[in-house]
Amino acid sequence: MEEKRIGVYVCWCGNNIALMVDVEAVSEEMKKLPNVVIAKNYKYMCSDPGQDLIINDIKEHNLNRIVVAACSPRIHELTFRKALENAGLNPYMFEMANIREQVSWVHTNREEATRKAKSLVVGAINKVSFHEPLDKRSVDIDPATLIIGGGISGISAALLIADSGNKVYLVEKTGKLGGHTANVDLTFPYLYSAQQMIDFKIKRLINHPNIELFLDTQIEEIFGYVGNFETTLKINTAEKVELKFGNIIVATGLKTFDPSGIEEYGYGKLPDVITSSEFEKMLLHGKVQTKEGKVPKNVVIIHCVGSRNKNYHEYCSRTCCMTALKYSNQLRSALPHSNIFQVYADMRAFGKGCEEFYTQSSRKDIMFLMFDQQNELPKIREAGKKDNCNLIVEINEKLSGEPIEVPADLVILMTSMEAHEEAKNIAHAVGISMCGNDFYIEKHPKLDPVATTTDGVYIVGTCQGPKDIPDSISQAEAAAARILAIILQGSVHVEVTTAFVNEEVCCGCQTCICVCPYTAISFDEEKNVSVVNEILCKGCGTCGSACPTGAIRCRHFTDKQILSQIEGLMSITLEEV
Amino acid sequence: MDFKPTIVSFLCNWCSYTGADLAGTSRMKYAPNIRIIRVMCSGRIEPTFILKAFREGADGVLICGCHPGDCHYHEGNYKCLRRFHLIQKYIQQMGINKDRLRLDWVSASEGKQFAELADEMTETIKELGPCEVKNTMEKLDKIC
Ligand SMILES: Cc1cc2nc3c(=O)[nH]c(=O)nc-3n(C[C@H](O)[C@H](O)[C@H](O)COP(=O)(O)OP(=O)(O)OC[C@H]3O[C@@H](n4cnc5c(N)ncnc54)[C@H](O)[C@@H]3O)c2cc1C
Ligand code: SF4
Ligand code: SF4
Ligand code: SF4
Ligand code: FES
Repeated sequence: MEEKRIGVYVCWCGNNIALMVDVEAVSEEMKKLPNVVIAKNYKYMCSDPGQDLIINDIKEHNLNRIVVAACSPRIHELTFRKALENAGLNPYMFEMANIREQVSWVHTNREEATRKAKSLVVGAINKVSFHEPLDKRSVDIDPATLIIGGGISGISAALLIADSGNKVYLVEKTGKLGGHTANVDLTFPYLYSAQQMIDFKIKRLINHPNIELFLDTQIEEIFGYVGNFETTLKINTAEKVELKFGNIIVATGLKTFDPSGIEEYGYGKLPDVITSSEFEKMLLHGKVQTKEGKVPKNVVIIHCVGSRNKNYHEYCSRTCCMTALKYSNQLRSALPHSNIFQVYADMRAFGKGCEEFYTQSSRKDIMFLMFDQQNELPKIREAGKKDNCNLIVEINEKLSGEPIEVPADLVILMTSMEAHEEAKNIAHAVGISMCGNDFYIEKHPKLDPVATTTDGVYIVGTCQGPKDIPDSISQAEAAAARILAIILQGSVHVEVTTAFVNEEVCCGCQTCICVCPYTAISFDEEKNVSVVNEILCKGCGTCGSACPTGAIRCRHFTDKQILSQIEGLMSITLEEV
Repeated sequence: MDFKPTIVSFLCNWCSYTGADLAGTSRMKYAPNIRIIRVMCSGRIEPTFILKAFREGADGVLICGCHPGDCHYHEGNYKCLRRFHLIQKYIQQMGINKDRLRLDWVSASEGKQFAELADEMTETIKELGPCEVKNTMEKLDKIC
């Protein structure tokens, strides 16, 4: 067997690791281990000079295995695998030890942290000692794309892909396209008509030769993997359509928060307390009025309804502050003599043109009142007979510190954006995860914001988190561009960390066939052994742990690799500290 | 001297490992006794891994996977759960307290839960004291 020559690189991550872990001591310790030819520490391993360090050492010292102790492999494993490839080494002859997320960021005693870091690195060195070169496998890409959700996000992605000459299947669960954008009147901050923007796109979409539209349709199950997915759509009880596609965009959008649960606001009981969506409807019909059909003299707009509060959602819904300002502008033009109150927690004018919009709007004779969103929500009650209005809003005004009462004829609740209740169904169908708030999780929050951990599945628009129309479109078109790039290549590399049966050891018990969730294993009657179909296998490793004879090898997570990693981890304990 | 246990922890890549990463990015502090091994799915974890950890001197083993119904490979965690109960029985026969082996579900967003779990597990093991299996086995090895 070829001599093992391992290079170990310990990253400082600036101060992120080096402050809590003695990186010098770690690299020194590793020099003592058998097969370790070189051990170094460096300020930023992922930087170009950091990668060059590895590449040059591989060439100069004939290294054939590399360990990097740095951040989580979920962030930079691919970066370093590429570096190995650039140096002519098989990218799988690599292992990372996570000494940032699992050590320096979570521990407080430098000595203990350093010992733990050492043990993780020894574990990685032990594991990489048993790594084997794995061949890349590529699969052809079906150029069709499935888009789930026909709001502004789904529509925008569909048009871009279809315009390039590729097929798009767009599945929308309701009978109508446009999503929430279709229910909005004007848009902040430039007050363009949402209808005009979306109608134009919908018309183009309906007539597009490359787009096949399925309204009133839902996805149940999707099979396959990047490049080769398939599903069966149930159009109605009799009709079924089978679709094949290479990529998926999830654009299922948002749901608006139901404020009936917030006692202070009396929504559902007080007829003139309405939600922002209901107010958009009034604006679209061109009539702002109370339940009794009167013109409201006092309009109160309450922010953060269901947002930024532990009892509801902790996050900010991002669009409601500006939507609320948009309402003051629209109200000021429609009802020049009315009193308009913005009852807000913090004014968030985050986007391009938004701070300017705030300044402009505040000059339009609008009263701004601040409340404490965490501790004391405003209270709405019915006005008395003598009062000259329908409702009274009680606020503990934060800036003045005074409790005040504001007259109201109409109260608009700026309800938050939330994930759909059935978000989980789609997550399961396409194999992606959700965060605590049920919004879908991107592959990396900074570096890979529209991809997911499942290759070939992208998330765009408000199903990923609250956002406005331009941000939704940006994501949609970014995902479309990602997919077009893959279609252009014609094929993609897929995971090669699949399972493999050693026919000489297999006793033919077929236990593995029973446990494989992807029916990737079949039985060869003639040879009396099981065989893994490597295209279908996703490398979960379940068969490997079920096989009684040890015939199954789960590539990159073999028994030998893991057992040896355990030995490494246990070779240095905290005891001596 | 204070007993400083070592706990080997197997985390599935998709939920639990990501959850542990989140504990890190959120700078949550927890006990330094846990050493993590990443596997793609909790379904990959076999009895030999757990026994090996104890054999090498681990005082506890913590397994984490996606919540029921959330496994990236559909049902690897159910298979892990079934195996877990068997292994727990088995280690008891070897004289290892069953609480030294724990299985829990940690999702990608549960950084806080992971940090708390790590602390809890460390506390449990500290109360149980060092695991003697390694020594016993070494003695046996010598005799045989
Ligand atoms: C009252 C209000 C006012 C707003 N004002 C503005 C504004 O002025 N400016 C601005 O920029 N933004 C505004 N927004 C935000 C804007 O509406 C959103 O950013 C935008 O609609 C997001 O588009 P989307 O396609 O991501 O989601 P959605 O509009 O929610 O569309 C999602 C689509 O997917 C469909 N769907 C859901 N689940 C499934 C499924 N399982 N299968 C198939 N289809 C499914 C839905 O039926 C829907 O058609 C406002 C929002 C609200 C609520
Ligand atoms: S955008 Fe404004 S109103 Fe909406 S949740 Fe954030 S702070 Fe509250
Ligand atoms: S479980 Fe193992 S021995 Fe049994 S059929 Fe599968 S590979 Fe062969
Ligand atoms: S690794 Fe998982 S997907 Fe692959 S054959 Fe084994 S059980 Fe099936
Ligand atoms: S992937 Fe997490 S338990 Fe299977």
